[in-house]
Amino acid sequence: MKKIINNPDHVVSEMLEGFAKANPSVVYFPEAEVIARREKKAKVGLVSGGGSGHEPAHAGYVGEGMLDVAVAGNVFASPSADRVLKGIQEASSGKGVLLIIKNYSGDIMNFNLAKELAEMEGIEVDSVVVKDDVAVKDSTYSTGRRGIAGTVLVHKIAGAKAESGASLAEVKRVTEKTIANIRSMGMAMSPCILPGVGKPGFVLGENEIEIGMGIHGEPGVERTAPQSASALAETLLGKILADYDFRGSEVAVMVNGLGSTPLMELHILFNEVEKRLEPLGIKVRKALVGNFMTSLEMAGASVTLLKLDGELATLLAAPSAAPAFRA
Amino acid sequence: MKIDAKGYMDYVAKVAQKLADNRDYVTELDSVTGDGDHWVNMDLGFRKLLEQRSTLEALSLGELFKKIGMLVMSTVGGSSGVLYGSAYIKASQAIGQRESLDVPLLAEVLGAMLDAIMARGGAKPGFKTMIDPLYQGLEAMKAALAVGKGDRAALDALRAGSIAGMEATKAMEAVKGRATYRTDKGVGHLDPGAVTMCYQLQVLADCFSS
Repeated sequence: MKKIINNPDHVVSEMLEGFAKANPSVVYFPEAEVIARREKKAKVGLVSGGGSGHEPAHAGYVGEGMLDVAVAGNVFASPSADRVLKGIQEASSGKGVLLIIKNYSGDIMNFNLAKELAEMEGIEVDSVVVKDDVAVKDSTYSTGRRGIAGTVLVHKIAGAKAESGASLAEVKRVTEKTIANIRSMGMAMSPCILPGVGKPGFVLGENEIEIGMGIHGEPGVERTAPQSASALAETLLGKILADYDFRGSEVAVMVNGLGSTPLMELHILFNEVEKRLEPLGIKVRKALVGNFMTSLEMAGASVTLLKLDGELATLLAAPSAAPAFRA
Repeated sequence: MKIDAKGYMDYVAKVAQKLADNRDYVTELDSVTGDGDHWVNMDLGFRKLLEQRSTLEALSLGELFKKIGMLVMSTVGGSSGVLYGSAYIKASQAIGQRESLDVPLLAEVLGAMLDAIMARGGAKPGFKTMIDPLYQGLEAMKAALAVGKGDRAALDALRAGSIAGMEATKAMEAVKGRATYRTDKGVGHLDPGAVTMCYQLQVLADCFSS
């Protein structure tokens, strides 16, 4: 394992310590691995978080116009409820707090427990669950669809709404509308190495890629031979469009890198995605190409489409001072 | 056959060792059906408990369980942290003021843990989780106690039942957690959370027997 670390036990705390030093607009609470805005405002507080290893998620999205607090767990593991509780307390200004949770068993349990604990302290808390990954079948019985890169756009829109002074119920409504209209699909080309494990969690052969792999290296839909950017765009978009009919609408498109895929390739992929949208009557109102929700040093990418109406488009275009999302 | 707070910390040390000995095995299981972080986080949690061994040993048994619950919850994180944390906190209520665990109280404690894990995770026996070895081990243990077979037989039943429950996860389809993302729902693979739960129950039975 070749990594720029000191000790696998300390990667999260040392990363966040560095992050806070590099970004004076945030403060770091080491005992809870919480990153919060330095300047607090009287408004609905927005808290997100999850396992580490997805940088710049989630700390990179803390800033005016986006999140108030990001809570970090160990690598790929949800933050514990006591950490999330600390996050809720930091985000609370008396106007209520909205939790943006990605749909994984651990995250759901810990965020919900933290919500109960905060409510016992008299803080009004509500939550939404992001599940944008069309690689997984949605289900009310089992865990169901994962939350992946689309979460970043959810942060952005919820953040803009909260910044406008809207009530908790209003922020939740707009956030749920965003979640209902967002779909993502990813693929991976090489594995990632958890610092505490020291070797790859799975193997992809030289002539193999995995369509639909999750952002923790969870299994996808199928393994295929490497494909051209054009064929990949066809595959990923095909899965998205089969799940949600975006025809005739205005959209935001995100092409997200998983960690070690060069921006060159991400732009090539975006170019192929964009070409396929116009013939379907899909107009790209906003494009985002970069590393927004990564999986350590995994190679690969995901494509996200969000259908925009006037309200969502305005909120998406509103200013953001978050270190990893300037708008 | 009794275990007090100090004896329970000896148990914790033995679990830590058992985990350390099985690092690659557990991580490999988890890499197949999950995301490979289960061993790392469990190991981190048990090492944290050992770091605080002298403080923890001095607590009453009920307080010890509560403190273990809080430490595990915050250190392990993820699903395992909140589930084991909830289990220990619920168990501390079952223990109350009692200063040592005997075998019948152990059955009560394991029952409280099972209830807490099922309530928090919304999972049941048969979902291919840590619940399966605990449920089957406890059922076997309670059956042995009910017919008055005595402590040693009850512990043997706990051992055998938990292994059976762990092994049964191999054929199960996952309903909760990351193995649900596989098209085969993990069928054919042991659940890593069931394996580490089984380790703990084996070591626990051994600690009582020795």
